[in-house]
Amino acid sequence: MTATEPRETRIPDPIDLDAAEEARLRAAAGIAPAPIAHPGAEYAGFEMVGIPDRPPQTDRERELYTLEEGEMLVNMGPQHPSTHGVMRLVLKVRSEVVTDLDVVLGYLHRGIEKLCENATYTTVLTYVDPMDYMSGMHNEHAPALAFEKLYGIEAPPRAQYIRALVVELNRVFSHGLMMGFLALDMGGLTPILYSFINRDEIVDMLSAISGQRMLFNFFRVGGVNFDTNDEFLSRLGTWHSKQLKNLKDNELLITDNEIFKARTKKMGIISREDAISLGVTGPNLRASGVPFDVRKAHPYPPYRDLEFDVITQANGDVYDRYIQRIAEIKQSMSLIEQIMDKMPHGPVQAQVPGIIRPRPGRAYAAIESPRGLYSVYAISDGGPNPYRFRMRDPSLITLQVMPKLMPGHLIADTMAVMASLDPIMGGVDK
Amino acid sequence: MRLIGERFPDVVSSLWTDEDTVEITIPGARNLEVLRTLRDDPELAFWMLADEAGVDYGPGVRFEVVYHLYSDLHPAWLRVRATVDRDDPSIPSITGLWEGAMFHEREMYDMLGIIFEGNRDLRRLYMSPDYKSFPQRRDFLLPDDAADSPAAGVNPLERPETWDLVRFANLGPLNPLADAGALPDASAVVADPAGDQPEGSPVEAGETDADASRPR
Amino acid sequence: MAVTDPGRDDARLATAPAADPIVIPDASRDETLLAPFRMEEHPQGGFHGLLEVIPTKADYVLDLIRANSLWPLLSGLSCCAIEMMSTATSKNDIDRFGMFPFRASPRQADVLIVAGTLTTKMAGPLVRLWEQMPEPKWCVAMGTCTTSGGRFKRSYSVVQGVDRVMPVDVYVPGCPPRPEGLIYGMMKLQELVKQRRGHWRTYVDRGPQRVNWEGDVR
Repeated sequence: MTATEPRETRIPDPIDLDAAEEARLRAAAGIAPAPIAHPGAEYAGFEMVGIPDRPPQTDRERELYTLEEGEMLVNMGPQHPSTHGVMRLVLKVRSEVVTDLDVVLGYLHRGIEKLCENATYTTVLTYVDPMDYMSGMHNEHAPALAFEKLYGIEAPPRAQYIRALVVELNRVFSHGLMMGFLALDMGGLTPILYSFINRDEIVDMLSAISGQRMLFNFFRVGGVNFDTNDEFLSRLGTWHSKQLKNLKDNELLITDNEIFKARTKKMGIISREDAISLGVTGPNLRASGVPFDVRKAHPYPPYRDLEFDVITQANGDVYDRYIQRIAEIKQSMSLIEQIMDKMPHGPVQAQVPGIIRPRPGRAYAAIESPRGLYSVYAISDGGPNPYRFRMRDPSLITLQVMPKLMPGHLIADTMAVMASLDPIMGGVDK
Repeated sequence: MRLIGERFPDVVSSLWTDEDTVEITIPGARNLEVLRTLRDDPELAFWMLADEAGVDYGPGVRFEVVYHLYSDLHPAWLRVRATVDRDDPSIPSITGLWEGAMFHEREMYDMLGIIFEGNRDLRRLYMSPDYKSFPQRRDFLLPDDAADSPAAGVNPLERPETWDLVRFANLGPLNPLADAGALPDASAVVADPAGDQPEGSPVEAGETDADASRPR
Repeated sequence: MAVTDPGRDDARLATAPAADPIVIPDASRDETLLAPFRMEEHPQGGFHGLLEVIPTKADYVLDLIRANSLWPLLSGLSCCAIEMMSTATSKNDIDRFGMFPFRASPRQADVLIVAGTLTTKMAGPLVRLWEQMPEPKWCVAMGTCTTSGGRFKRSYSVVQGVDRVMPVDVYVPGCPPRPEGLIYGMMKLQELVKQRRGHWRTYVDRGPQRVNWEGDVR
C-alpha cells in the first residue's frame, strides 16, 4: 500500500454487474433493488442518485412517486438550514404547491435500544440522554420510573420534587427554543438569540445541579444524583425574578407580528380526529382541542399534589401550537413556584445496590415530555441488564402527521409547519 | 379487569394486573378484532394507542407485539400482548384503526422483521433500504459480543494459546540495543508460546481476563 | 540520545584520532533543518523549487484573512449542534472570530464542523458535502461521537469517528463540548490556518478505512 497514487474519498464502487444479473442477485438475497442511475451522474464527480433512487416497493411509494402532469419531486435533503436535525423530505410539488410528501428517516439512528440491552440499568440512563437531546431530563425520567416499578421501590419525596423541578425547567427552555426555531425557520434571526440566552441561563442552572450542560446524567434508579446546592438556588432565584419579563420581551417580537400571523394562522390544521388517530400527543394534541396530559391522566408522584389545569386551544393551526407552548411555559413557571414551596427535606436517593437486579417482569412508564407522551416499556429477566428496553418517542409519531397536513400548502410553509410540530431527530431516529 | 374477561372469553389466554397496568395476552391473528372492540365499545373506550412495541424472545421462541392503550374511563394502562410465530412472523396491521401505527410497524419490520399484512407502506424506516438483516433480533450480535457468537474462536486472535509472544516481543533488526546483546535472540528463548501463563493452567478459548470484566 | 545512522557513525569513529577529544558532529541537525524543505518527496503536498519554499508576505496576509473569516457549514447532526448554535449566539459569541455566517450551501463554506453522531446512512451525504466544498477547506470534528464513535462505540450503525471518511484538522472532545471548548478548538484551527499546517496544504487522503454501508456485523 503505497501513498503515491491519489486515492479517492468516495465509497469504492460496487462490482460492475450486468443490470439484470444484479437485479436477480438482489431479489434472491431479499434486499431492495439497485439505485436507478441518474443520467448526469458521471459529470458530478461524486455518487449521485436521483429521486426516487430505487424502484418503488410498496403501495404508498408507488402512489408518491407516480407523477402526473406538471408535478415534480423536490428533495429537502438531510442537510438543510432547518434546525431540527437530519431528516429528508421528498416533496411532490406542482409549481410551488405541495401535493404529497414523504419523510425519510434514519440518518441519526444510533441503535440505542440494542446498546441498552448490554448495559446495566444505571448505564441505560446515560445511553438514553442523547435521544431527545433538547429535553434530556425527560429522557431519563421515564426509564427511571420504569426501572423503579420493576425493582419495586419508589423514590423519596424530596427526590420526586427535585425531579419535577428540573423537568419543568427543561420544559421551559425547550418550549422557548421551539419559539426561536419557529421564527428562525421562517427567516427571523433575532428571536433565536433571545431563546438561546434564556436557554443558557437555565442550562447553567442545571449544570450547577447536575454537572453537565446538556446531556445531564442526573437521574438514578431510586432518586436523583445530587441535592440542590447554593449556586443552583441562587441562579434559580435570579432567573425566576426575570423570567416573566424575558418571556414578555420574547413574545413581543413574535406574537403580534403581522407577518408571523399571516404565515401561521390557518396553516397546518390538525383536526381532533386526525390527531387522535395519528397518535399525536403533547402540546400538538392539546392545541387541537383534546385535553390529554399525561401528568393529569396518569399522575406520577409529584404531580398528584400540584395544582394545574390542562390548557387547550381551539383550532389546530401553527399559531395555536405556538400559543399553546407559551401558555405551557407560564404553567411550568407556576408549577416551579409550587414545587419550591412544597419541597420536603429528606434523602435524594433510595438505598439501592450498585448493580440492580430486579425480579423478572414487565413495566411501562409514561411521562409528559415537551414533545408529547414519552414512554418506556422495559422487560427484565432477573439479570443486571434489561432484557428489552423500548422507548416510544413522541417526535417520531408526530412526524406521521406531515403527509396529511402538507398537501395544499406552499413549499415555504413546510418549514413553518415542521417547526411548529417541534420534532427532534435524536428522538425520532433513536 | 372483569370487563375484558367477559368480552373475550375465547381469545384472551392470560390476564394479569398490577397497580397501574392490566395485561392480556392474545394470539396474533386476532389482534384486529380485539383492538377494534377495545376502541369502539363505549364501556371500554380505549381511544388512544400509546405504544406499539415488538419483543424478540430468542431464536425459536416467539415474537410479541405489545400494544399499550389508554382510556379515560379506566385508571390503568391496558397492555395487549399479541404472540407472533418467530419462523413465519406475520400479523395483521392495525393502521386501519389507528393511522399512527404506521411508523411503529415500519420500525418493527426494520428492526425485527415482523411482516404486517395490510400495511400499505412496509419498508425500512431507520436502516438504509439495502440493509440485509434485522438489528434488534436476539441473534444479531454487536461487535463486542463476538465471544458469544457461534464463530467464537475462528479468528486466532481470539485464542490466546496461539499468540506468538516470542515473535512479537522482538523489537526489530535495526534496534541499536540488539547489537550490544541487551535483548535475547529469538533462538535463545525457550519455545513457550503462552509464556506468561503458569504451567499447568492453559488458557482455554474464550476465557480470558476480558471475560471477568466484560459487562454481562 | 540522538538516533543516528549506524553506518555514518562507524565511519567517523574509525577516522577520528583517539587522543583528541572526540567531537562527533551531529548529522541529525541537518536533517531537522532541511526537513521542511523536503516536501517534494511528499506525494500530494508539493513545494517544488526554492522559490516556493519561503512563504511570501502575500501568502501570510492571505492566510491571516482566511483565518479570521472562516465560514462554517451548517452541518449539525445531533446534540452537538445545539451546543454549536449556543456558541453562535449571544452569550458565547463566535461572531467575534468572524464565524457567524453559518452557510447553508457547501459551495460557500470554509469549515465543516461535524457536530453530532455520524451514522452509516448519513455518511454518504456528509462525504458528498465535503467533496462539494471548494478548497481551501478544513474540518473540525466536534464531540466524541465524531472523534471516535464516542458513547456509541459498539453500535451497528455509527461510523466510529468521522476521520474514517474524511480528513480532520481539529478534534474537539466533549459530550457535548462546552461552547468555550468549541471556541478553543476554532482558535486552534485559526492557528493551523495561519501556520499552513491544516489539511488543505498537506492533504493526505487515506480513503475510507472501513465504512460498512450495508453489512452485517456478525
